[in-house]
Amino acid sequence: MDSWVIAMMLGASLFLGAIALSAFLWGIKNGQFDDEKKMMNQVQFDDERELNDAANQQRKQEAAKKEYRPE
Amino acid sequence: MSKVKCDHCHLEFSDEVMIHDGEYRFCCNGCQGIFHLLKDEGLESFYSKMGDATLSPPSEQFEASSNFDTPAFHERFVTTTKENLSQVSLVIEGIHCAACVWLNEKALHKMDGVIEAYINYTNNKARIIWNPAVVKLSSIIDMIRAIGYNAFPYDASLQEVRANKERKEYYLRMAVATFATMNMMWIAVAQYAGYFTGISQEIKTILNIAEWVLATPVLFYSGWVFYRGAYYGLKNRSITMDLLVVTGSSLAYLYSIYITLMEKGEAYFDSVAMIITFVLFGKFLEVLSRKNAADTLDVIGKHIPREVSIVEGESIRSVNVSDVKEGDVILIRSGERSAIDGEVISGEGSFDESNLTGESEPIFKRIGDKIISGTTSIDALIHYRATKDFAHSTLSTLVNLLENAMAQKPSIEQLANRLSQYFSSTILFLAIATFWGWYFWPHSFDRSLMVGISVIIIACPCALALATPVATLVGLALGAKRGILFKSAAQIETMAKATMVVLDKTGTITMGRPEVVYATLHQPFDMGVLYALVSLSKHPISRGVMEYIGRTENKTDSISIEEVRELPARGMIGRHNGVMIAGGNALLMEELGLNVDTRSDKSLFYYAVDNVLTATFELRDQPKEKALESIQTLHDLGLRVVMLTGDHEAAALRVAQEVGIKEVYAHLTPEGKAAFIASAHDEGYIVVMAGDGINDLLALAASDIAIAMGNGSDIAIEVSDVVLMHDSLTSLAESFAISRKTYALIKQNLFISLVYNSITIPLAMMGYIIPLIAAISMSFSSLLVVGNSMRVRWLYK
Repeated sequence: MDSWVIAMMLGASLFLGAIALSAFLWGIKNGQFDDEKKMMNQVQFDDERELNDAANQQRKQEAAKKEYRPE
Repeated sequence: MSKVKCDHCHLEFSDEVMIHDGEYRFCCNGCQGIFHLLKDEGLESFYSKMGDATLSPPSEQFEASSNFDTPAFHERFVTTTKENLSQVSLVIEGIHCAACVWLNEKALHKMDGVIEAYINYTNNKARIIWNPAVVKLSSIIDMIRAIGYNAFPYDASLQEVRANKERKEYYLRMAVATFATMNMMWIAVAQYAGYFTGISQEIKTILNIAEWVLATPVLFYSGWVFYRGAYYGLKNRSITMDLLVVTGSSLAYLYSIYITLMEKGEAYFDSVAMIITFVLFGKFLEVLSRKNAADTLDVIGKHIPREVSIVEGESIRSVNVSDVKEGDVILIRSGERSAIDGEVISGEGSFDESNLTGESEPIFKRIGDKIISGTTSIDALIHYRATKDFAHSTLSTLVNLLENAMAQKPSIEQLANRLSQYFSSTILFLAIATFWGWYFWPHSFDRSLMVGISVIIIACPCALALATPVATLVGLALGAKRGILFKSAAQIETMAKATMVVLDKTGTITMGRPEVVYATLHQPFDMGVLYALVSLSKHPISRGVMEYIGRTENKTDSISIEEVRELPARGMIGRHNGVMIAGGNALLMEELGLNVDTRSDKSLFYYAVDNVLTATFELRDQPKEKALESIQTLHDLGLRVVMLTGDHEAAALRVAQEVGIKEVYAHLTPEGKAAFIASAHDEGYIVVMAGDGINDLLALAASDIAIAMGNGSDIAIEVSDVVLMHDSLTSLAESFAISRKTYALIKQNLFISLVYNSITIPLAMMGYIIPLIAAISMSFSSLLVVGNSMRVRWLYK
C-alpha cells in the first residue's frame, strides 16, 4: 500500500515535469529563443491588432500552400 | 534658438531649418515622405512604439532595386522552398529599436504575396518568403527603402545554417539531460538514505524503475552524439573518449537494468545520467567556441563589387561583373573599387593600392597605366579598357587562392585529444583486466562484472572532458576584456605553442598613414589658411599635414579659399585674399618656378604663398606607440620575429631598425608572403602572422594563427583567428601571454584529473566503489577543474 503511494507520486511528478520539459523543447525547436532581444521587446507590441495580423498572415500562408500543386 | 524634434526620426534640429508641414516638423524630405506613407498605411502606431529611440534620417542613394530581379542575383541569393515560393536572406540596415523590427515586419506583411517576413532583432538578419507569381523582390526591397531602411542580400550559406542547427540540437539534448539528471538526484537522495538506514526492496525497485525511465532518454537521446563519435572513431581505427563514455555508460545502464529486474544490489542509473550530462556540457562548450569558416568566405564575397559601369558610346549602364568581357570600357569614379583588371584609356588620378601592395602612398595613374582589381580610386575619374574578364582578374584570383588556402589550413592536434586516446585505451584495458582478475580469484560473475564496470564509471572523463573547454573559455573571456578576440578556443593552444611571429609593416607595425615628423617654417604665415587648404584634400599626405596643424596649433575654424584646384600627383593650389597659395610636392614647386631642397628619405610637403616657399613638412609612416617594447617582449618569449612587407627595402629596413626587428624581407608580393610562411612551416615552425590588409590575406590564411588589427580591412579580420581591437602591438604581446597562461592552465587541469583518477581507479579495482562514491567523486573532480580554471583571474591582473 505504501509503495503504491510512492510510485504514484513519482509517476505524477515526473509526468508534470515532462510536460514542462516538452513545452521548453517545443520553444527551442520553434525558434522562440533564437532572438533574445526581440523576445524581451515583443511583449510591448502585443495587442488585438497584432493577433489579427498574425491570423491574416497565416491565412496567406495557407492560401499559398493550397495554390501549389506538386506535379 | 529652440531645438525641435523631427516627427519621424526624432533627431533634434533648430526650428528654422525644419520643414513645416501643418502641425508636424521634419528634418528632411525623406522623413516627411516616410511619415505620410506610414500614416496612409495605418502604421503610425510605430511612433508610439518607438519610445525614446531616434532613427537615422533616410538615405537617398541606393543601388537600383531592379538589380534584385536579375537572374544572376537570384541564382546566388534566392532559394526556392518546397511550396515553390522564393526565399531570400537579407541584412536590414538602419534598425535602431524594437519598433523598427515591428514596422518592417508589418509593412512587409501588408504586401500581397509576402508569405513570411521574419527579422532577427539581435543580428538584423531577415528571412523573407514570397510568392514570385504575385510580387517581385524588387518591390519588396522598394518597400523596405520607402519606410527608411535599406537591405543587403547575404548568402545564408549551408554551413551557417548547419552550425545553427547543430547548436540547437545541443540545446535540446542538454535540456533533456539536465531535466532528467536533476530529477534523478532527488530520487538518488532517497536511495542513498536507504543504503545507510535500510530500505525495503519493494520501494528500492520502484525508485530504480523511476531512475531507469529517466536515464533512458539521457543515454539514448542526449548521449547519441557519443555513440556517433565512438562509431566514427572505431571506423578510423582509433579509441576515442567517446568510446570510453559510451562503453562505460552503456554497460552501467545494462547492469543496472539487470539489478532492477533481479531486485538485488545497487543500480548505477544516476552515474549514467551524470556522466552523459557532464561530458555533453563540455562538448557543447567546444562546439560554441569553434569557428565557422563558412561566414568568412561569405564576407569576402561582399567586398567584391557586384557591378561595374560600362561605357558604350554616349551611354553608361551598370553591368554585372561576370558579364564584362575583355575589351569593354569601364568607368570608375572617385571612391569606387575596381573589380576588373585593365588599362587606362582616358582620364588620370590617384589610386590607393595599399590594399594589394602595401605601398602606403597613392599611385598616380594616367593613360596607358594598368589598373589592378581590388584597388580604390581616390580622386580619379577614369575610363579603362578591361584586359581580363572578372574570373581572371587579380581580385578573384586572390579570392580563389584564399579559398584553397583556408581549406588546407594546418591544424595542430590538441593536447587533450591526444591524451584522451591513451587514457581511453588504458582504462578499457584496466577494466577488462579487473573483471578477469576478480572472476578467476573466485568471485561470482555478478560481482566481477560490477567491479569491472565501476572502474570505467569512476574513470569516466567528466573532469577530463571539462578540463580544456573550461580553461579556454576563461582564456577567451580574459582576452575579450583586453580587446583581444580569439575566434576559436582551439587557437589559444596553437598560439601558445607558436615559435615564430611574422609581422606586416604597413598598418601593423606602423600607423599606416604618414605623419609630420619635422616642420621647417621659412617665413611667418597664417597656419589657418594652410589648414583650410589641406583639409580640402583626401590625399594621405594632406591629411597628415592637416592633423599636424590641428594638433599643434588648434586650428579648426574654416577660412574660405577660392579657386581651389587639386593637381593630381602634385598637390593643390588656391587663392586666399587674392594671394596665390600652393601646397604639394617638389614637382609642383618646380612648376611654380621654385627651387626646393629635395634631399630627404621621407615624403616632403612644401607650402608656398605668393610664389615664395614658406614651409616644408617632412612626413613619414611612423611605428606605433610602444612598438619597440612589444617587439622586445616577443623576443623575450623566445619567438623568432620576422617582418614582411611589399614596400621597398629602404623604408622597410628603417622601420625594422627602429622597432628592433633583425629579420626583414621587403618587396614581397602577396603570394610571396604566403610562400615565405609555407617555407617556415616546412622548417617546422608554428607561425603566427599579424597583418591588416588584403595584401596579407594569403599569408594570413597560410599561417597557423592569423592575427588581424582591429582597424584593418574587414576581410583580413574575417580571415584571421585573433583580432586585436586596440590595434596595438602591446596587445599582440599580451595575446601571447594570455594564450600561454591558458595553455598552462589546460595542462594543470588535465594533470588534476589524471591524478584524481590514479587515486580512485585503484580503489575501484579493489571493489570499494559504490554508486554514491562514484557520484561524489565525479562531481568533486569536475568542481576542482572548474575552480582551478577560475583561478586564472587572480593570476592575471
